[in-house]
Amino acid sequence: MERIKQLTLVDDDDVFVYLTKKTIKKTNRVDLINDFGNGLDAINFLKENWDDVDELPDILFLDLSMPIMDGWQFLNEFVKINPFMAKKIHIYICSSSISPEDMAMAKTIKEVSDFIIKPIHKEKLLDLITSV
Amino acid sequence: MEELSDFKYALDESAIVAITDQKGIIKHVNENFRKISKYSAGELIGQDHRIINSGYHSKEFIKDLWTTIARGKIWKGEMRNRAKDGTIYWVDTTIVPFLNGEGKPYQYVAIRSDITERKKGEEMLTSTLKEISDYKYALDESAIVAITDQNGIITHVNDNFCKISKFSMEELLGQDHRIINSGYHSAEFIKELWTTIAEGRVWKGEMRNRAKDGTIYWVDTTIVPFLSPDGKPYQYVAIRSDVTERKLAEEELKNSNERAVGYIKAMENKNKQLIDFCNIVSHNLRAPLVNISMLVDYLDYAEDEEERLEMQRKIKPVINHLMDVFNELVESIQVQQDTEIASDDIALKEAVDKILVGFSPQIEESGARIHLDFDEVPYVNFPQKYLESALTNLISNSLKYKSPDRKPMIRIASKDINGKVRLSVADNGLGIDVDMHKNNLFKIRKTFHKHKDANGFGLFMTKTQVEAMGGKIWVESQPEKGSTFFIEIEGQTAWKE
Repeated sequence: MERIKQLTLVDDDDVFVYLTKKTIKKTNRVDLINDFGNGLDAINFLKENWDDVDELPDILFLDLSMPIMDGWQFLNEFVKINPFMAKKIHIYICSSSISPEDMAMAKTIKEVSDFIIKPIHKEKLLDLITSV
Repeated sequence: MEELSDFKYALDESAIVAITDQKGIIKHVNENFRKISKYSAGELIGQDHRIINSGYHSKEFIKDLWTTIARGKIWKGEMRNRAKDGTIYWVDTTIVPFLNGEGKPYQYVAIRSDITERKKGEEMLTSTLKEISDYKYALDESAIVAITDQNGIITHVNDNFCKISKFSMEELLGQDHRIINSGYHSAEFIKELWTTIAEGRVWKGEMRNRAKDGTIYWVDTTIVPFLSPDGKPYQYVAIRSDVTERKLAEEELKNSNERAVGYIKAMENKNKQLIDFCNIVSHNLRAPLVNISMLVDYLDYAEDEEERLEMQRKIKPVINHLMDVFNELVESIQVQQDTEIASDDIALKEAVDKILVGFSPQIEESGARIHLDFDEVPYVNFPQKYLESALTNLISNSLKYKSPDRKPMIRIASKDINGKVRLSVADNGLGIDVDMHKNNLFKIRKTFHKHKDANGFGLFMTKTQVEAMGGKIWVESQPEKGSTFFIEIEGQTAWKE
């Protein structure tokens, strides 16, 4: 059974974060779940821990619509620091948006592994963990 | 006797001489007569003198001649005669009757000199004068004509000028030509005109004038300077034609073009609003729905009572949030639909003072200073509800996002920018990274500060209201320095009156 050491949620929606954490825990495949309420807090964390393999996440779920720094702005920053990361971070945009424009935009960023429309079901999570 | 013969010789040499009997039959002609009439002596002697008549003079003229000389008096006059070959010649004529013992004429001596050249000159002059007067007539009939002296004082106007300017001739003569100025043209335009004509060059252009009753008319104008021998203008002749209708049509065309552009902009705006609306539905309404569906799933498959209760507790706030977003959306659509909302003339000072009363606890608590400057534009014309909502929101933001390091200073002002009113609300608060947030600043549910009351609705609503009224809203800001929000409102007339 594949296991994930670190998974990070970047999302300002408390209810969604609570429920998704719950769903992730139920898979029993993830050791540690981190969360940030906006893009800026997340990017600052990555900058501070760029060389710490234990602290960096394997998977990062990124919401698009957030205060302070939204998902697009986070990606804009992440693209710059990604080459320095001590670990490959798989980024999945995880948005309630069903706008084709957002999906098309996500395809243009190679650091984005996939675009997941909320909610995230347990089956999808398992697929994802296996593929990583 | 010899002296007499000398006189005859001199006369024959210098003049055209003919002698007829009392009935007008030619008895003698001299060399000059033969030369000018192109008849030989043989063809003339014994002929009636009328042989050289050209048929030009009236019966009365001829009768007057004969009556005069028949009475024994000298007749003088200018006559038009016809030579043998049909050519016409003019002669200055003196006819002297020779009287017999009874005092009656027994013969007439006609002494003539050739004045054909002079007559031709006179005729040409007359015809030129006639042509000139015809031109003047044509000009007066067709154009608006005025003549001024070199100082611009009107010395002549024609009927057309009086008709279009609605002044009488008496009111215009002696007046400065500026009496019909409409004040429309720039100082540069007028200066260029005067420089051109003062240098003796013709000026052409279109001018907007004002008639006596205030009505405006447009004239296509040509001003021709008349130059004195030293090359300086001594008078100016202005020839104009009425182009008012064309000008009005041009203006109408321009207006309708502007209207068309306005419609296109309005449509673009509507389209943009529609896209925004789709995004709002996709992002902001779907998110709480996702949460509800997840919560309901967990309710169904809850492992224990505790988990079930937990989920139940969480559903209520999500539903409230969904309701809030939904209501905001409905409110914003109502604003977009309600373009017919009536505008009010609002005294800015009064309106802002009223709003500030509502914020007095926050102002007191924070020690905020508020500076108002509505001297330039004291009034705006805008829906009262929208203006109050916009200013309330901006002032609220300035107080809410104050810097922890300094007391809030808020400046609210109004300015006239080319006929538009620009309201500004400037603070020294936290500021916003405008470059980073430019796409999201006025969007629904977008927030930029970690503040418990930041809900991302205020600026969205303000923008919706301002744009629904054809206005603009934007912000200039620097993080840690402060923000200035601008609202520009078009079509303002109230404060000018």
